[in-house]
Order: sequence, then structure tokens, then C-alpha cells
Amino acid sequence: MSEVILQVQDLSKMYQLGVIGSGSLKRDLQNWWSTKILKKENPFFQIPSDDVLNTSKDFIWALNEVSFEVKQGEAWGIIGSNGSGKSTLLKIISRIINPTKGYVRGKGKVSSLLEVGTGFNPEFTGRQNIYISGYILGMSKQEIKKKFDEIVDFSGVEKFLDTPVKRYSSGMYMRLAFAVAAHLEPDILIVDEVLAVGDVDFQKKCMGKMQEVSNNNGRTILFVSHNLQAVGNLCNKALWLNKGKASAIGETSGVINTYLTSLKNDPKQQWTAPDLAPGNSQIRIKKASAKPQGETSGTLITVNSPIQLDFEFWCFLDNCSLNVNVMLFTEKRECVFNLGTPSITAEKGILALTCIIPKNLLNNSGYSLSLVVLKNNNFNVCEFTDCISFEVEDVREGMYYYGEWPGIIRPQITSYLYVKDTVENEALNKAKVP
Amino acid sequence: MSITNKWDWEIGKNVTTWNWNLKEIWAYRHLLINLVKRDFTLNYQQTILGPLWSLLQPVFTLITYVIVFRNLVGLSVGTLPPILFYFSGIVLWNFFSESFTGTSNTFKEHFYLFSKVYFPRIIMPVSVVCTHFLRCLLQLALLILLVLYYWLFRNINIHFGLNLLGVPLSILLVGSLGLGVGLIISLITVKYRDIANMVSLGIRLLMFMTPVIYPLASVRPSLKWIVEANPLTVYFELFRFSLFGEGTVSYLNLLVSTLITLGILLTALLVFNKKSNSLLDIV
Repeated sequence: MSEVILQVQDLSKMYQLGVIGSGSLKRDLQNWWSTKILKKENPFFQIPSDDVLNTSKDFIWALNEVSFEVKQGEAWGIIGSNGSGKSTLLKIISRIINPTKGYVRGKGKVSSLLEVGTGFNPEFTGRQNIYISGYILGMSKQEIKKKFDEIVDFSGVEKFLDTPVKRYSSGMYMRLAFAVAAHLEPDILIVDEVLAVGDVDFQKKCMGKMQEVSNNNGRTILFVSHNLQAVGNLCNKALWLNKGKASAIGETSGVINTYLTSLKNDPKQQWTAPDLAPGNSQIRIKKASAKPQGETSGTLITVNSPIQLDFEFWCFLDNCSLNVNVMLFTEKRECVFNLGTPSITAEKGILALTCIIPKNLLNNSGYSLSLVVLKNNNFNVCEFTDCISFEVEDVREGMYYYGEWPGIIRPQITSYLYVKDTVENEALNKAKVP
Repeated sequence: MSITNKWDWEIGKNVTTWNWNLKEIWAYRHLLINLVKRDFTLNYQQTILGPLWSLLQPVFTLITYVIVFRNLVGLSVGTLPPILFYFSGIVLWNFFSESFTGTSNTFKEHFYLFSKVYFPRIIMPVSVVCTHFLRCLLQLALLILLVLYYWLFRNINIHFGLNLLGVPLSILLVGSLGLGVGLIISLITVKYRDIANMVSLGIRLLMFMTPVIYPLASVRPSLKWIVEANPLTVYFELFRFSLFGEGTVSYLNLLVSTLITLGILLTALLVFNKKSNSLLDIV
């Protein structure tokens, strides 16, 4: 049973930063001339020396010497903040990109679900898309035929099977797409953030299916998610990637705890160059910090200090309406609030956002913030999940209770407790007090 | 137990040029068939005339050519009826240019899919060529009807025999060349986008260097070598020669062009296999 089915050894992936393209033909020709004809060292591209790499800003190790072994039937959760190399790792294991160093060895068939609806074409009917998507994901014709009814059942779209999927509601589309993926029967299943989409019911269904797959069928799952709750429920082993390095490997609960602890100590995140920062071609995050209002950063945030949240973004969009949704989550991933800023007309440059959370609102606990940048009020430009986390410390005055304070929020609610009436009441007198 | 026996597969830094996994490609054959079906029907989704469009397009081109090159300019097409001459050229040229343009866009069009799931990348360009091959067959059928019409009612002399083997041979070689050159261009365009702009210009120029609207025999002898240097030339001449018995084909030319074509295709396949994964980093 517990046979090693996947071995990842010293896996590293390096990316070259900066503009690739303009003027690169000349560079490549020089390069080719000096390496192949003159047999010199490549003047532009030298991999090995670690010193150079660590100091140079032109390279980034998306993955850095990651090693782990997965045994058959295990469910692995891979966690880490944005840009920590999770997706790179999955892409290498799925054979989409090649590593710079190291290797992955494995047994059996690997299927990867890096998105929902891979290979779906909106022009085609549900039926046709089941086949196309199934083939692209590596199913054989017999497999799809055998599973076809099951897939349709699971998705619940049998009425619309012969309608082009472009006319489906987004929920139906998701269900059908996941249904195909859920009926893959690989030895190793790789899943990336599939659960980030869809409604609560759908997410439940997905989780259920994945649990079923890993428990009953003895299949191996690698699961990347920001949803620690989901990782905790589904996985028995976890890997925490931090800036390309494996910071913790082991039992899920231990790894999640280590991960959360590390988040708490880092209420400020800053990126020096857009290339290094998480985000996409439209928006990249430059800075995110939390501190008590009017204090220097690093000062303890307490329940009775107003919290100032500062964000800066590099904006590459010109002349369009942007607004930002700020979501605050508790450690248990409950959303405390969702704040939508007013829209502004963005221009290329740096955007700054400041929010003040009033004092005496949050309870003492760990919180993390997620941002969603929206264009024209509805188009999702970029998401930054868990971009910073901070801890609100407890301050109690005139209080002799030291236990845990229950509740998500802890506002100062005005309350009066007083003696309303001192006139003796007959009923009171009659009542027998033991 | 040695490592090679213990593991089914290994992903490392280097993909060797020779590790074509034919078994794996075979396992994905249904994907290929489905993609061809998809591409073929997708063009006609929500159109009234449906697959007729793949016939109407060359027919309109034919009408244009007859009016412009025959009636306005007065280009000589030898002794053949201009309609047969032009149409045979159009059918073969369309196959080449569409296979070539289609495969050269492989990465540009499928980058997103490539970055989400693994399958043998070669499936995509091959499916493009197969789709255009189907279209070419449809057009060929129309060409054959035209030939039969001229043979029955206009008494042109058609020789039915082994010579007709030249038809599938030339189509096959033209398709191989389109695939080979297209694959190479698709790899280059990933890094050097400029090439993509040159492709559409180049293919138009190439048409005039290929005997599509004129027979090789009518080219001025001093300039003939330019047209003959094009490996496509001999296929077009062979195609017409096999159908109508008219054209300039020498065995030496045919042999050289075939070797060049197969050389390009083989190189393209090997380089494509080696590079297709590492290129995803720089798209």
C-alpha cells in the first residue's frame, strides 16, 4: 500500500526576469556565436553559481530545491502565499514545463486539473465538450463511453446536453466541466484551486468527490489551495512552499499551524520591483501593511487601536474605472467584512489605498486580508489572496477575566444594566428562593 | 532494482531529441480525430451553407483569377482550359497555404491550453493539417467533376492510368512541406514575434514564385531557376501533369524536392518535440 508513487528531488525552476523579446534576436545571435562557435561561456546566461543568482535581480528561483516523496493513496495539500511556487510545482509535475534542475519520477498515469473546463469550446454542445475535454485530459474513448452517463448525472445538465455550452449558465458550465474532470481515473490526480470558483453547493460537491476519490479508490491527490479549511479536511500530508523553498513538510495540521504562525509575524509586505510582485500584466501589488493608526509600523495592534491598512499597486491600466474590494478573514476563514472602495479613474502609475478599521471592532485573533481589484465595477482584474495577515492583541481594562474572548468582533456596545424598581413586589416575596 | 525499472516516467531538465513516444501519441489518437472533427464543424457552426463554404471560396477565387489573369492581363496557361488550369492550382495552393498558416499559429492559438494541460503538442498542428486535408479532398472532388465535364463534353484528352498516382503523391508532399515549414515558423514566432507579420506577406509572395497562375513552361528561361528553386514548383507541375498530361516534371527535380521536403519535416518534428515544452516559459 504505502509504496512511493511520486518522487520529487531537488526540483528547481528559474525564470529570467525582464523583457524577453525586443532586441533578443541580436542577443541570441551573439550568444550562439560565443557559445557554439567560439566555445566560450554563455555571456548572458550562466546557471550554476549560487552567489550570482542570489544577488542578481535578473533571475528568480520560482522553485528552489524542493524534495518530497508521495506514497500511494496519500492526499497532499500544497499551501503558500501568492507567488510561492505552488503552480510552478504543479506545472512541472504535470509535464507542462521543464525544471531547471532536479527531477520528478513517478509511476502510473498523472492527470492534472489546473483549471475547470480545460479544452471546453463554447460553440460546442455539452455532449461534444465532454468528449473533447475528456480526450484532452487523457481519457480513452472507452473510458469516456463507460463514464458518460455518470458524468451527465453528476453534472445535472442532461436536459441541455445538446445545447452549445455558450448558452449555459456559468454554474451549469462549471458543473459539467468539473464532472468530466471528476471522472478521470489517474493514479495521481493534481488539482489546482478548482474550488475557488462556484457556489457553496458546488464546492461541497467537489470536496465530496475528491474525498471519495482519495478515500475509497486509494488514489493519490496533490491539491493546491488557499483554502486552508479545505486542505485540512481533505489532506493528510502537506507541503508549505515559501518563496520557492519547502518550508515545512509533514502532517497537515502541523504544517498549517507553522504556516499560519509565519503569516502573523509579517504584517507588512513589500515588493521592490513589479517583476517580483504577485499580480498580472494589469495590476501588481507593491506594498501591503497594517499598523495601528498614527503609530509607526511594527507597533502592536490591539483591540482598542484603530487599524490603518495601506496598500500600493503598480497599475498598468490606463484610463479605466477601478475599484478594490477588501475582504477580511478570520483564521477559520470566515469573512468578517467585505469593503468596496469607491471607483476611481485609474491611470498608469502607482495606486494607493488606505482603509481605517475603527477601534474596538475586531476581537483578538489572527486576521488575513484578501484584495480583489475590479474594473468597471464587475470585471475581476486581479486577486491577491491573503496578501497580509496581522494579529490583534488583547487589551483588557478593568476586567478580571483572562480566558478566551469569544466572538468574531468585539465592538463596544453600549449596554445598561440597572435596578429598575426597588418597590417590593408581591410576586417576588412569594417566590421561594432555595 | 534499477531506477529505470522502478519508475514509469521521469521529468528532468533535458528532453532528448529522440524520445518520441509513439505509443503515447497513439493513445491520443481519439483526441486528434475529435479535434479534426471540431475544427471542421466549427467553421460552419451557425452558417446556412455549411461545408459548402469550403467549395465556394475556391470557386470565387477561380472566377477572380479567370477574369483578372486570363481576361484582363491575358496570361498564357498553355493549351489547357483556363478553368481547369487555375482551379487545379488553387486547390493545391489553398492546401499548402492554409496548412502552413494554420500550423505556424500553433503556439499563438493554443498557448493557453498548452499551459493548462499536458498532451503531445504535435497533435495540434497535425490536426490542423488533417482538417485542411479534408477540405482539400472536397475541393479535389469538385476538380474531378470539372475534369469529367471537360472530358465528356469538351473532348479534352485525359489519360486515365498510373499517372494519376501523381495526384495523391503531390498532395501528400505539399502537406508535409506545409506542416514542416509551419512547425519551424511556429517555434520561431514564439520568441521573435516579427516573424508572424512576415509570414502573411511571405506566403503571398511565395504564391507568385510557385506555378499557381502560370505554367512553369511559360517562365522566361533566364529566370526559371528562381521558380525551380522552390520545392513546391515540381509538386504543382506533377499535379497538373498527372491530371492533364501537361507540365514540366523531371525525376531529378522531383527527387530533390522530395528529399528537401522530408528533410524539413523530420527536422521540424525533432525540434518541435525538443522545444515545445521549454518554449512555454517565454511565450
